[in-house]
Amino acid sequence: MLVMSRHAGETILIGDEIEIVITQIGRTRVKVGIRAPREVPVVAKEVKLVQDANRAASAPPSPEAISSLLARLQSPVQVFPPAADE
Amino acid sequence: MPLLQSNNFGQVPYQPESVLEFPAGLPGFDDRRRFVAIHMRENEPLVFLQSLEDPGLCFITLPVGAIAPGYRLSMSEEDMGLLGLPAGRQPQFGEDLLGLAVVAVKESGPTANLLAPIVVNLANRRAVQAIAPGSDHSWEHPLLPAEAPVCS
Repeated sequence: MLVMSRHAGETILIGDEIEIVITQIGRTRVKVGIRAPREVPVVAKEVKLVQDANRAASAPPSPEAISSLLARLQSPVQVFPPAADE
Repeated sequence: MPLLQSNNFGQVPYQPESVLEFPAGLPGFDDRRRFVAIHMRENEPLVFLQSLEDPGLCFITLPVGAIAPGYRLSMSEEDMGLLGLPAGRQPQFGEDLLGLAVVAVKESGPTANLLAPIVVNLANRRAVQAIAPGSDHSWEHPLLPAEAPVCS
């Protein structure tokens, strides 16, 4: 991985069309501005992970899938309802 | 009573006041805003989230507490705002706040997404899939039959 040091206000270019601006540096987070062509999707990585996870989970649940899932859940080590946390 | 169309369950009558509104949709399904939670005694503790806008869209979910007792929420201020919760204090699951983990059934075994639980505010029926960046929770937490609490 290429690592670059930048001050607030400085910019990084990726190719000719993508521009990343370090707009603000805080104690634990940085604010980053991104200029990219409309067709380039820009999302936080965890958002992409959840998008993919949701798409994988969205297939219609088959009766077999549901019964195999239930078989796992009904094994004696699973407790439901859970004990109150408070 | 209105009827919803579901590829899995056929026609299901539902109370209009039981509709869950997702003001921001779900990641990957941004334009799906209205769902109904379906549970059946024979499928306890599963909760099915059926889209009202797409008969073919139905998520299998499990209450977060059934998978990870003691799970602590870590919500962004933006997500808390979408649920109408006060800013400044992390909400906790309780009478009015329900957490559902989306389950994926794969060949390697079922997993639950604990990185981004669906949080429902039962007081106003608003819901959001709350991504907790930087949390230790996995988006593919395995549902293992041998997941017994270990005493040490």
